[in-house]
Amino acid sequence: MSSPSLALISSSTLIAQGAEAKVYKAHLTSNHLEPPVVLKHRFQKGYRHPTLDGSLTRARVAGEARALMKCLRSGVNVPGLRMVDATEGVLGIEWIEGRSVRRLLPAGSNEDEGEPDSEEKPEREAADALQEYGISVEVLMQLIGEEIAKMHLADVIHGDLTTSNMMLRHPTSFNSRNPNLSTELVLIDFGLSYQSSLVEDKAVDLYVLERAFSSTHPESEPLFATVLKAYEQQMGKDWVIISRRLDDGLLCLHARYLLGTNCSYFSASARSQA
Amino acid sequence: MESYQLPHFPAHLSYVHAVLFTDVSDADLLRMRLITASTAEGIDGERERDALNFAFIEARLITSAAHLKAAIYQAALADAQGCLRTKTVHSEIIYALNPTHNISEAMRRYGVSDATTALIVVRVTGPELSAEEVKRAMHAVVMGTSTPFAELRNVTDWAAVKKYHKLANETAVRGAQGDLHREHAVIDEIVISSTAMKSVMA
Repeated sequence: MSSPSLALISSSTLIAQGAEAKVYKAHLTSNHLEPPVVLKHRFQKGYRHPTLDGSLTRARVAGEARALMKCLRSGVNVPGLRMVDATEGVLGIEWIEGRSVRRLLPAGSNEDEGEPDSEEKPEREAADALQEYGISVEVLMQLIGEEIAKMHLADVIHGDLTTSNMMLRHPTSFNSRNPNLSTELVLIDFGLSYQSSLVEDKAVDLYVLERAFSSTHPESEPLFATVLKAYEQQMGKDWVIISRRLDDGLLCLHARYLLGTNCSYFSASARSQA
Repeated sequence: MESYQLPHFPAHLSYVHAVLFTDVSDADLLRMRLITASTAEGIDGERERDALNFAFIEARLITSAAHLKAAIYQAALADAQGCLRTKTVHSEIIYALNPTHNISEAMRRYGVSDATTALIVVRVTGPELSAEEVKRAMHAVVMGTSTPFAELRNVTDWAAVKKYHKLANETAVRGAQGDLHREHAVIDEIVISSTAMKSVMA
C-alpha cells in the first residue's frame, strides 16, 4: 500500500533537515491558492529496530501535536496543526510567513541558515530587517519574554528554546489587534517539548535560551535582561521561585540540562520542595 | 459547489466535491431515508445506498472551509491506510469532526438531524465521476439552496461549537472576549487544529 503522506513529501520542497526530521513546504490539495503547510517528517532511523522506531516516532509526533494544541488553547502564539499522520511520522503545520528571530538579530544572519547573506555588515542588515517588521530590538525582547511566560503558565516546557525556534510574522500577512504592533512572535518546533509544572524545568528552559543568546548573539546578550523582565511581569508570583533557581542554581540547572529531566535526584529534590 | 483533488491519494479517494445547502426543508425525511437505506436488502437497497453515498454534515457546527477540509483529509488518510473507525470514508468525516471518540455521538451531533436547516454534503470519489454528475445527485436528495462556502460564517453556531469543543474556559478564548471577530478566529484555529490532530488526541 503506497502511503499518501510519502507521496505528498516526494512532491514537496525540502527546506530544512535535522538529525530527527526533515522539513518541507507542501500543498495538501490541488488548490495552490490555499496557504501552503510545513511538513515535518520524522523519517525512519535505520539504526533503530523497526518496531521500536515506529512506536517512538508515533509517540513523538503525538507529543508534539499535543503540545501545540495545549499552547493554542492557552493563547500562546504557535502555528496551528493541519494534518497528522502518526504512522508515517508526518506532522502538517501552519505555514508562517515571516522570519526567524535568529536572522533578525545582530550576528545571527550568517550562520548555517544557507542564506547567501554578505558577512560584512550583518548588524546593519539585521537592523534593517527588524525595521521591516516595525519593532525595535527592545520590543522584540519583550515579546520573547511574554510568549515564553504564557507557555510556562500553561505548563508546557519547550525544551529547545533558541532564537531559531522563534519567528516574527511578516506585517503583510498579519492582522494585528494592537495598532502599535504590526507583528507577532511565534514559538515553533515543539519536538523536544514536554509538560511540567516544576519550576526547575521552567528555569532550565530559560537557562537554555540564555546560553543560546550568548553564543549566537553575543552583542545582544545584555538585552536578555529585557526578556527576563517581560517574563517576570507575565509570570506573576511564580517568578520569585524561578528566578531564585536561575540565580543560585546555575550549576545545578546545567547539570539538569545535561543529564535530562528524568534524573531521579532532581525529581526527588523538586518534590521535596513542593 | 467546491471541488478539489487530493493528488497524493489512491485514485478512488482523490476527488472531493462539497456543497453547502441552506434553507434545507427535508432534513427529517433525509434522516429517515438514511436509516432505512442502511438496512435495506437486495438490489433496491444497493441502489438507495448508492443514491445516498455522501457525507451529510450539520453545517452550523463547521467553523470554516478549512475545518471541513481538515476532517476530509484525515478521513481519507484513515481510509487509505486501512484504519477507518467507521464503515465508510463519508461516515469517517463525521467521526473526524467530533472531538470525542464516541461514534454515535458524532452522528447525532455532526450528522443530519431533524432540526437541520443548513447542510454540507460531501462526496469523496475517483476521477470517473464528473463534478456535474455529483452535483446532480446531491440536488436529487437534498431540498435546499446551494450557497457559496463564503456564507458559512453566517451559518456557524459559535456557542454550540464552543460547547462541544469545551472552549468556554480556555485562556485563548477568554483572552479574545469582547472582540467577536478575534474570538471567532481563535476558535476557528483551535477547531481546525484539534480536528487535524484527532488521531493522536490525548
